Amino acid sequence: MAHHRSPWRGVVLVALAGLAVVYLFPFVWLLSTSLKPTPELYTQPPTLWPVHPSLDAYRAALIEARDWVLLRNSLVICLATVLLTLALALLIAYPVTRLPVAPGFRRGLLSWLLSLRFLPSMVVVIPIFATLRVVGLYDRILALVIIYTAFSLPFAVWMLKGFLLEIPLEVEEAALADGAGRWRAFFQILLPMLSPGLLAASVITFALAWSEFLYALILTATPRSQTFTIAVWSFVTEFEIIWNQMAAVGVISALVPVGLLLLARRYVVSALTFGAVREKA
Amino acid sequence: MVVVYPMAYAIALSLQYYRVGGFAGLHNFAFAFQDRLLGASLRATLVYIVIAVGTEVLLGLALAVAVQRTIRSALGRTLTYLLFIIPMVTPPVAAGVSFRLMYIPEYGILNVLLHGLGYHGKPVLWMSTPAMAMFSVISVDVWQWMPFVFLVLFAGLQAVPPDVVEAAEVDGAGGWARFRQIDLPYLRPLLLLVLVFRVTDALRVFDPVQVLTMGGPGAATEFLSLYLYKIAFKFSNLNYASALALYIVLVVSVIFALFGRYLSEEVA
Repeated sequence: MAHHRSPWRGVVLVALAGLAVVYLFPFVWLLSTSLKPTPELYTQPPTLWPVHPSLDAYRAALIEARDWVLLRNSLVICLATVLLTLALALLIAYPVTRLPVAPGFRRGLLSWLLSLRFLPSMVVVIPIFATLRVVGLYDRILALVIIYTAFSLPFAVWMLKGFLLEIPLEVEEAALADGAGRWRAFFQILLPMLSPGLLAASVITFALAWSEFLYALILTATPRSQTFTIAVWSFVTEFEIIWNQMAAVGVISALVPVGLLLLARRYVVSALTFGAVREKA
Repeated sequence: MVVVYPMAYAIALSLQYYRVGGFAGLHNFAFAFQDRLLGASLRATLVYIVIAVGTEVLLGLALAVAVQRTIRSALGRTLTYLLFIIPMVTPPVAAGVSFRLMYIPEYGILNVLLHGLGYHGKPVLWMSTPAMAMFSVISVDVWQWMPFVFLVLFAGLQAVPPDVVEAAEVDGAGGWARFRQIDLPYLRPLLLLVLVFRVTDALRVFDPVQVLTMGGPGAATEFLSLYLYKIAFKFSNLNYASALALYIVLVVSVIFALFGRYLSEEVA
């Protein structure tokens, strides 16, 4: 390929620098707004960075407006979703990759799981809403855990399937030949080798559940089960919007998945495309 | 269970009359064809999909090819990768909030910027005229998902064998010819994949629009999901909403039936 430097290099670098500004500025503005004391919101023209940065908005939103309850709900829901999703995903992915299954069944199952990815949430939520009201699970944390698990499963299965296929069958066969049972081979040999995959799948499941908004908006009503995205949303619907508090909850809401996924960055694109795209970075 | 039961329930709901109950046959399905608001919502959704996805694909493709050809250092590529991962993993609600904070006329930084650039007319009302509201919601979509197109296509370009490119260069092929004859054939399956993902996602867009404009002004940005939300949860007409939902399932299923097998070797 071009061993000499392309004359376009400068142009591309300038374009990338411009894009970096476009992509990072919304975060800078969000953070800056969240650190402004309320009077500074009304200075004209608005200041780019607060003159007297303070954490008042965070305190007001989390403690006085009691949004810490929703933060706790979100943590509970996401952790439960991760555990349930991983357990079920292993139960599906292990037999599909490790045991003799009819190829037709295997392909059908995986294809069906993939198709669920394209089902719009707004379509599914209508009958779910009607059902939850009847069975008394409306506005319950449990309902969100079940639904988030159901909709994290497809990609979790696909992801774990990818990781399982990369571990050679011989590893287990050797353990089985040494007299270990299938359970021991699974727990003592396979599971440790699978741990990077499990970690990546947990991080992505957690982040997706954390970011979810539509189900939470429709299926919860009170702080008993509302999630943190609803805390962000509730500032939007206030009659007089308190910009700095809205920004403060926005910062917290963005920080969690961005932080987590920067850790699992290698797997983000392949998770979002169901393993169709492999990447190295 | 979690999928089949709701679907059956949706069918049952869609076959009943609103409020009075009782078997309605296909009344709810037929009503969709007389529903002018649905027509307006479909048109708005179509405009949104075409402009947002079109911009994302063109920009993402151009950027992927440009970076592939000019940025060689590992550090440069890693930084680019990190920059574009961030918007994709930002919760859409948080992205909506941060754009709202830039677009509000009283506090928004954008009008200050425009002023600084020499624009001294009336402040731009980013979210309260139909055209600007459409622009605002599209801008969030492009901001958030152009990186997805870029990252997928960029990963695809890594699969082009270097010796093929070198041979083309020796033959004196220009940049455009290399793109048409080498890059594009390699990228074609991924372009299809990106289109299927982005079109189906844009079809169901809800979170950022709800945060930015709530479908307004009027119904200018009341896309399908927002319209369904209004029918089902503001007007409590779960029956008609279920009928519309089933139409959407039908459309998405057709898309999946046509293109699903291209999405993954496993499914092929």
